[in-house]
Amino acid sequence: MRALTANRLIDGEVVFWKAGEWVERFADADLFEAGDPRAEAAEAHGKNQPTVVVEPYLIDLIESEGLWAPVSYRERIRALGPSNLPHGKQTEGGAAIAALLHAHGGARSKGRVDLIKRK
Amino acid sequence: MYQYDAIDRDMLADRSAEFRGQVARRLAGELNEDQFKPLRLRNGLYLQLHAYMLRIAVPYGSLNPAQLRKLAWIARTYDKGYGHFTTRTNLQLHWIKLRDAPDIMDHLASVDMHAIQTSGNCVRNVSADPYAGATSEEVDDPRVWAEAIRQWSTVHPEFSYLPRKFKIAVTAAPKDRTAAKTHDIGLNLKRARDGALGFEVMVGGGLGRSPYIAPTIRQFLPASRLFSYLEAILRVYNRHGRRDNIHKARIKVLVATLGRDEFAHQVEAEWEKIGAAVDLPDDELARIRGAFTPNSFETLPPRSEALEAARAATPAFARFARNNLKPHKVPGYGIVEISLKAIGETPGDATSEQMEVVADLAERFGQNDIRVTHEQNLVLPHVKLDDVPTVWAALAEAGLATPNMNLVSDIIACPGLDYCALANARAISIAQNIAKTFADPDRAEKVGELKVKISGCINACGHHHVGHIGILGVDKKGEEFYQLTLGGSAAEDAAVGQALGPALPHDKVAEAVDTLVDVYLRERQDGERFLDTFRRTGVTPFKEAVYADAH
Ligand code: HEM
Ligand code: SF4
Repeated sequence: MRALTANRLIDGEVVFWKAGEWVERFADADLFEAGDPRAEAAEAHGKNQPTVVVEPYLIDLIESEGLWAPVSYRERIRALGPSNLPHGKQTEGGAAIAALLHAHGGARSKGRVDLIKRK
Repeated sequence: MYQYDAIDRDMLADRSAEFRGQVARRLAGELNEDQFKPLRLRNGLYLQLHAYMLRIAVPYGSLNPAQLRKLAWIARTYDKGYGHFTTRTNLQLHWIKLRDAPDIMDHLASVDMHAIQTSGNCVRNVSADPYAGATSEEVDDPRVWAEAIRQWSTVHPEFSYLPRKFKIAVTAAPKDRTAAKTHDIGLNLKRARDGALGFEVMVGGGLGRSPYIAPTIRQFLPASRLFSYLEAILRVYNRHGRRDNIHKARIKVLVATLGRDEFAHQVEAEWEKIGAAVDLPDDELARIRGAFTPNSFETLPPRSEALEAARAATPAFARFARNNLKPHKVPGYGIVEISLKAIGETPGDATSEQMEVVADLAERFGQNDIRVTHEQNLVLPHVKLDDVPTVWAALAEAGLATPNMNLVSDIIACPGLDYCALANARAISIAQNIAKTFADPDRAEKVGELKVKISGCINACGHHHVGHIGILGVDKKGEEFYQLTLGGSAAEDAAVGQALGPALPHDKVAEAVDTLVDVYLRERQDGERFLDTFRRTGVTPFKEAVYADAH
């Protein structure tokens, strides 16, 4: 499973793609099956919105407690907020946040790989 | 403290207006991200994991109460009510919105502050000894020279597009509190036997992917010739620095490639060509020096009865005084170190309320002077010994009186994966775990000086290479792992640490540090710090203990 993420231009907020809109909660994001071409189509669409978001990219997901969570720890921190202070999106609580908090398994984040390639 | 003049203020107003225009054009789509990014970086604005991050310059770590209050207000109004002091004595705000950034620049300018040259390939914020003007160890006030360098390097056209970033530190004491040898240029001011002032010039230090300790290229540069010499160094670098390869672009690689002697030779040749015309005129130096005239100190007895009474009556205060109160050059005064390393908190973070408490104390008891240290703490450099118990009580109430200066819980940590887009792994949580492991202050004092430094990736913002114990976050198939190094130092005995062994998982790091400390306590001979013991025994006993435990 995959999802599309970016940072919103005007405030830097972490956002996810949902039916043509950018939403703040990972739990609301559209999920794309592996190989679903709509994922790349959404990414291309996002790249065409340079005044709305910065650097959209697709992230890989894994199952966690019956829900979906980003594979990479970096992307889970983006979806939740920092782990040192409880003032990110984790404050909302609920099953979707718990699933993110309890997810395991690591993989490199495409976001970071892209950043380093560009440097 | 140096006061901005009309030229400084006009420049800031222009920069702020220019930036406002750039942001408006970006939001309107007239600039794309590739065009805008270098412009925002020139004003210290990064895009991080959760939001934009603003890096505000604190020249030579020096703040007055009005500035610190303004920073507190900005953090409360535009961020989440706190800021992060960094190893380059700057302040980073991690939750900034692009749409607010132009207003923030205006508010900063209203107290003579900005974020210019806190990013990009230019001469960055100059750092200096946080005890400047207060310690009897210094031969001159390094702030005078740091301020002159600030003026010279600010929007200097020739040095605005260097091959890579460029960091300068100035100290005037034999004890180095600036990590001078990890800088592109470290300047150590000395006094010759005849009384003349001169700089030991160290060039080509740097951390990051390949760490170097700066070699000395000139033992004694007459102080009056500083600027022509700096210009010569930067010209040689500008000409020959490796612009083709970002990993080789720092001056450290040029100095290492040419060798110290050849590099020094090229600098001297360039220096001869430049001549003395660009050196600082004496009257300009005198003008700057005038801004740092010694404070008016009262004549006091060296021993304070109030302080001694508080020591005797209150063990917690006695502990604070032992660890956080340092000798001042004037009898009856002291330097008070404010730890931003409360056990379990984020190293270097201060809330808006805490900043306001420190600003108030500086006003009431500290001659309006506040310093930021490269070890991510604050300093009140001039406090009457009689007032230290009152200052301590106010700090304690604000959670700012942790008595751990230079001890194992006084940890440097970068923001790491909790905030930084480049990170491999968290740094803050490792610091929190280690501090909790050594929460018992008796044990921490028994261990003594121990510098733990943590970076979340190889860029080494947390100085891990030069930690007595250095900890580097690495990515093993996407999991957080940590490489430990031992025996580094950022002080006058600077050295790059030596690897301990295979990387450890997140939850094993604090335990491993505990084991390392046990080995040290077992092996140490009288008076040895952790670093001294390590240098005597080598890595073997430490390695055996940590990896024996790991099995
Ligand atoms: C969160 C945003 C940050 C980013 C994107 C960032 C980026 C970088 C990069 C790319 C380097 C390596 C440069 C090179 O080797 O040429 C570096 C080094 C460094 N940064 Fe940061 N950094 C950040 C935060 C910090 C913080 C929080 C501190 C202080 C605690 C800091 C202080 C330093 C220092 C001291 C070095 C290494 C010393 C040196 O080689 O000069 N940076 N940073
Ligand atoms: S060391 Fe790496 S993780 Fe830490 S702040 Fe610097 S770039 Fe970010």
